[in-house]
Amino acid sequence: MSDDNMIRILKAGKRYRIGSGEIEVLRDVSLEVKKGEFVSVMGQSGSGKTTLMNLIGMLDSPSGGIISIDGTDITGKSQKELVALRRRTVGFVFQQFHLIPSLTAWENVALPLIFAGKEDIGYVAAALGRVGLSHRSEHKPAELSGGEQQRVAIARAIVMRPKILLADEATGALDAATGSMIISLLRSLAGEMTVIMVTHNSELAKLSDRIVNLKDGNIEEKK
Amino acid sequence: MHLHSLVLKDISRRKTKLLVAVLGVVVAFAAMVAVVTTFSAATDSLYEESNNFGANIIVRPEVKTIPLVAGSTSMGSLFTGENYIEESDIPRIHTIMDSSKLSAVAPRLYGVAELGDSSVVIMGVDPEEERKLKSWWKVQGSWISSENTGQTEVMVGSDIATPLGLTEGSLITLHNGNISMDARVTGVIESTGSNEDAYVILPLSDSQDLLNREGKVSSLEVRALCNECPVEEISMQIEDKFPGLEARSMSQIVRNELAIIEHTRSSAMAVSIITLLVSTLTVASTMLASVNEKFKEIGIMRAVGASDVQVVSMLFFEGAIIGAVGGIIGFAAGTIASTISAPLLVQVPPSPMWSILLPVTGICIFTGMLASILPAKRALGVDPAEVLRSV
Ligand SMILES: Nc1ncnc2c1ncn2[C@@H]1O[C@H](COP(=O)(O)OP(=O)(O)OP(=O)(O)O)[C@@H](O)[C@H]1O
Ligand SMILES: [Mg+2]
Repeated sequence: MSDDNMIRILKAGKRYRIGSGEIEVLRDVSLEVKKGEFVSVMGQSGSGKTTLMNLIGMLDSPSGGIISIDGTDITGKSQKELVALRRRTVGFVFQQFHLIPSLTAWENVALPLIFAGKEDIGYVAAALGRVGLSHRSEHKPAELSGGEQQRVAIARAIVMRPKILLADEATGALDAATGSMIISLLRSLAGEMTVIMVTHNSELAKLSDRIVNLKDGNIEEKK
Repeated sequence: MHLHSLVLKDISRRKTKLLVAVLGVVVAFAAMVAVVTTFSAATDSLYEESNNFGANIIVRPEVKTIPLVAGSTSMGSLFTGENYIEESDIPRIHTIMDSSKLSAVAPRLYGVAELGDSSVVIMGVDPEEERKLKSWWKVQGSWISSENTGQTEVMVGSDIATPLGLTEGSLITLHNGNISMDARVTGVIESTGSNEDAYVILPLSDSQDLLNREGKVSSLEVRALCNECPVEEISMQIEDKFPGLEARSMSQIVRNELAIIEHTRSSAMAVSIITLLVSTLTVASTMLASVNEKFKEIGIMRAVGASDVQVVSMLFFEGAIIGAVGGIIGFAAGTIASTISAPLLVQVPPSPMWSILLPVTGICIFTGMLASILPAKRALGVDPAEVLRSV
């Protein structure tokens, strides 16, 4: 067991109950991701990519198997412990940006710090600077372009200086040029942190260190 | 920025929607404040009236009637018994147990005398004591003085003054049989609508001279001080000290009125409390709707690190703000409403009851938070994984 693994997934499964039946979305998935590595997750719609991201991001818990994040086994941890761990460890970027419309870019970025009870203006400024939007900090989401909104969302995801950045189809709602700009931003963040992105675009996926393909609830690695 | 300023921003964004909830609180609490303010004014005014009412105990010689029967034919009845109270006995009233509660003891002597061609009712009084009971009398001129000035002073009721053209300073002569008495009118009492309008009022000792009733008094008007103290009890104490006299309390009247006010107040309160329940539901449903609307936002907040406690405290804070704003506006509206409604019930204008502002606001905040419980439960049920699953 090498210590430079940020994420270790061992035979994790995820089943959902639907009415009286169950569907198995992930089955015996095992995956290791190194610190600072940039991994792309691909696969058909419904193959379980978002489910996998949610498991890594501790928004959801596996039905079986072991997941350890930064050396900590997260299976069997309490909801409260997971909230605390999630705050420190992971940042999320979503396809739909999911910014809060009533708040300015600055306030959206500050949100994780507010919840963690350690607002630091320097962190907010640094995160906004990192995505190149210092000059837009007083704008509300509606006043920003899609690409800018996604950059604000990335700033929010990295403001706590997480160890892992999870981007689920972060370019899905953007045009090609803006999309590749976002990916190069993620590329530049990898190294400082582990970046996992879900994408349907194999061109963009090639920019990552490694591509993981999900199929029928299991992993086929390429590259 | 703080968690609470997040909520304030959110509230300011949804002003119009939240207005409904705030309005619900305003209506309920305006009604409550109006009820409390109006009825406290009504009670005050009743107490004031009962003070104006003057005496609340009247002490009179016990009157016994003996039926006169001749054979089998009734010939009416005869009043017997001591018809006067001895003036020298009066100080004894201050030896009763609750004597400290006696704020006025006014002796009166009634009789009839001639003034010019007509008969008038004479009322001898102790000016100082009488004045305590009749504080609301409006006298054109002045009250008769309690000191002996050498000249007999009288006050006359308006029913006498007007036809005889008497005013302050007029000189009159009263006759009773072969006794005559010159007197100066010190004042005319404006009509009070009661018997006194036709009275000639003079100092007790002068009336005793005129009526030839040395040392006698017809009745004692007594005012016991407090509004809630047992007036019947005091009456009984007086009767114990004065065998042969009866003391009747008039508190029953006041008490009945109080009971009516109390009853009306309770019904009005009941209505307000129902309004309050409705307003709590309004707040709850508005907030529930807002939680549903903010499902995604709540999911986002949880994904970026909001704990359960933080989610709940944000909603409670929102409820408290709605309650507080509604409560303060409700207090103002209720106070204004009571200045309109109170005059319909009582003469005394209500004054803002600042003393209830704080408790009212407190209850409002509590109501708002109570209304947040269900929405908070709902918010806790938000699963970020589910809500944020990109669609
Ligand atoms: N809460 C749930 N209850 C039941 N089934 C679910 C639930 N969440 C996801 N699923 C199912 O799990 C499967 C995998 O979903 P997931 O969102 O992980 O797919 P995905 O690979 O991200 O697809 P896409 O590319 O369309 O985003 C789908 O068939 C979905 O219907
Ligand atoms: Mg997905």
